[in-house]
Amino acid sequence: MNEQEILEKVKPVIADKLGIGEDEITMESHFINDLGADSLGLVDITMALEEEYSMEIPDEEASKLVTVGAMIEYIKNNAK
Amino acid sequence: MKNLDFPSLRIGDLVAPVPIIQGGMGIGISLSGLSSAVASQGGIGVIAAAGIGMCETDFFKNYLQANIRALRNEIRKTQSLTKGILGVNIMVALSNFSDYVTASIQEGIDIIFAGAGLPLNLPTYLSKNSKTKLVPIISSARAAHVLITRWQERYHYTADAIVLEGPQAGGHLGFKIDQINNPSYQLDQLLPEVLKAVSLLESKYNKKIPVIAAGGIYNGKDIKKYLSMGASGVQMATRFVATEECDASNDFKQAYLMAEKKDVVIIKSPVGLPGRAIQNKFLFDVSEGQKKPFSCPYHCISTCDPNTTPYCIASALTHAKKGQFKHGFAFAGSNVWRINQMVSVDELIKTLRKEFEDASH
Repeated sequence: MNEQEILEKVKPVIADKLGIGEDEITMESHFINDLGADSLGLVDITMALEEEYSMEIPDEEASKLVTVGAMIEYIKNNAK
Repeated sequence: MKNLDFPSLRIGDLVAPVPIIQGGMGIGISLSGLSSAVASQGGIGVIAAAGIGMCETDFFKNYLQANIRALRNEIRKTQSLTKGILGVNIMVALSNFSDYVTASIQEGIDIIFAGAGLPLNLPTYLSKNSKTKLVPIISSARAAHVLITRWQERYHYTADAIVLEGPQAGGHLGFKIDQINNPSYQLDQLLPEVLKAVSLLESKYNKKIPVIAAGGIYNGKDIKKYLSMGASGVQMATRFVATEECDASNDFKQAYLMAEKKDVVIIKSPVGLPGRAIQNKFLFDVSEGQKKPFSCPYHCISTCDPNTTPYCIASALTHAKKGQFKHGFAFAGSNVWRINQMVSVDELIKTLRKEFEDASH
């Protein structure tokens, strides 16, 4: 799967967890600064994506995934 | 005859005959004196870990060691004073959160309460033989769901209870400033939502997760109300400050007795959360921009930026504990202005019990 395909799949998850529109979400979006996520929202998104892609994102890694693009890059490299 | 007395609060194999948890109050407000008195009366006494080493002579030189040493000594001292149930309140935002947790578990504390942040990895500190119960403090049904699910999925550990702290509590609040007085975010609205979310998780994981209501609970009638709504117990803190056993200085307690309704204010704490406090000149000067960023030797709060923060919260609260309000201020719950006399913990619990019984008729 390439980044664009992953983006299309994660958009509804992020939009649902943060209560925002899918059209607000781009590769460059910063979860906290652009999408208004709080720490709880980030954990919620991480958990949903872990389940979707059968992977585990360690807490130290998760704290570095501050943009949608970074999250997608991680999924691309680690999804099973 | 109908039993009108307090129902006991069960958290796993721990049974508190009085369903009241004395909320942890830092810095240095709830230590061995208050927590042992509450535990001896049948409630759950809680030591506040934040800044506990401030009276150690090497506090500024060996910040971490001084705090951990003081925490261990305080737990031991409290355990020697009572056979009742004891907890430690450890803020997740503390930079050395994991060290405080590890030390508390090694000292055999009964319960760890963790709030002011999400204690995502708290279960990893338990060892096979530890009996310590883990109780997160949260402020929404969403937080209860995310945290309990996370602990279960990643660590196969179910939270032993949760404290739901509403926006009328004292000290740091898990709400945005505009939510604090919004009717939709009050404890009466949040409690049914959290009970519903938790009950789904209880059936899913087949374990009882008692919900403790907190934030602005003042008298026995309030306790009756929240227990009738489905809470298993309550957490109260502010009321315990005006007791003889409370570990704060007399001047700190006097600030509670003197406070009027108009003095209760919401501040922006350097921890990154709003907080409820009693207005004074120190806070007024802060709001007027008259305080300047300070130098910080130890960075005690992971979310605090000493370069932009106008004052040191640890220093301000330590001064307040000692009654030095020129250099600090007191956190307090929204009902602090209703307190007008100093009592013993025994008398306070008796009063609450009587009010609870009267409300049960």
